[in-house]
Amino acid sequence: MIHYDDETLMRRVDGELTPEAGALIDAAAAADPAIAARLATLRSLRSLAREALPLVPDPRDRDLARLIAAAPTSPPLAARMSEALRIAFAPRHAPLWGGLAAACFVLGLSFGWLSAGGSNSGFTVGPQGQIADAALVRVLDTRLTADGADAEGRSVGLTFRDADDRWCRTFQSGEAGVAGLACREADAWGLEALAPFQPAAGDLRTASADIPAPILAAVDAALAADPLDATAEARARDAGWN
Amino acid sequence: MDDFQTGLVDLLPRLRRFARVLARSDADAHDLVQETVERALAKRGGFRPGTRLDSWAFTIMRRIFIDQTRSNARWARVVAPADERTPDIADAALAGEDLRADALAVRDALQALPDDQRIAVALVLIDGLSYAEAAAVMGVPAGTLTSRLVRGRQALIRTLAEQGVSA
Repeated sequence: MIHYDDETLMRRVDGELTPEAGALIDAAAAADPAIAARLATLRSLRSLAREALPLVPDPRDRDLARLIAAAPTSPPLAARMSEALRIAFAPRHAPLWGGLAAACFVLGLSFGWLSAGGSNSGFTVGPQGQIADAALVRVLDTRLTADGADAEGRSVGLTFRDADDRWCRTFQSGEAGVAGLACREADAWGLEALAPFQPAAGDLRTASADIPAPILAAVDAALAADPLDATAEARARDAGWN
Repeated sequence: MDDFQTGLVDLLPRLRRFARVLARSDADAHDLVQETVERALAKRGGFRPGTRLDSWAFTIMRRIFIDQTRSNARWARVVAPADERTPDIADAALAGEDLRADALAVRDALQALPDDQRIAVALVLIDGLSYAEAAAVMGVPAGTLTSRLVRGRQALIRTLAEQGVSA
């Protein structure tokens, strides 16, 4: 006679066994009243528990439903963002951005990237939304906000944790003409939001003028804690985004 | 309302049931549902369309509950409140529920379980999530989920047997 532990019988009752394994248990129960009794106890506990906590309509759910219906589809930008953005894109980077803007203007590489289908820039995204552009992955892996932009105008903006505890970073790619939000999952950066991006030309400006509104909205919706300061950002990078 | 909002409204009864297993009183359970809804609305950007809204919302509620439990524990060390446990029977009566004695015994037995086991039992036994979904909501490996589930069930069966309820 085979001995079945509680976990195996529990899996049978919860439908977590393959049909073949389940049939084996059922055959054993048919031959052994003790196994049959243990299965019956588990099934009975399950129905008792459901009976004790029934799904009942609650009058207070109506108020909650109204709250849900009244919620904006795209949450407003939180005030705390502006300070973080100001720090993230301190004015000392302005000349660099200005130069980039001029380059983009001359080369005509600003908008139109998205409508062109993205095939001309080498900026590719895998089937699960993971960023496959090696250069951009390197920027997201290693670059700090304080480093500013690399030779191709790629830079990182905000770094923060989202509600799922993933690391997220905003990026801008001046040459590709896009800005986006990427979050790290299973050792890859997944693209959460992407928008056309044109570095503004000329004088000093705040970062919020540089990060396109759709990206800011995505950041605001995903943000679970305040964005990192420069020290914490460097520490998170050095720890390999774990 | 968009799909996200409709989905959340449809989830309310299940969220409330999960909250009633987690919380010690009906009022606490309601607060838990309310906070979960508010956080879900604020963090809706964190929900990826195409994934399961129920698991996502349950995860939010589980996190809020654990955070509250931790801060309550800190608070209890300072003030040691006398009314820590509001009797569940009073709540059932308040809510006008006509439950059999067996059902009340099951609720009490559930409340006596450690949080980890109670959450596992609530997700799998009561809500009917698969082991994989429940493990994801709890943020633990599948093996941890099954061992919590086994121990939780064994404790429930033992407690109910002692009270003469035949599970």
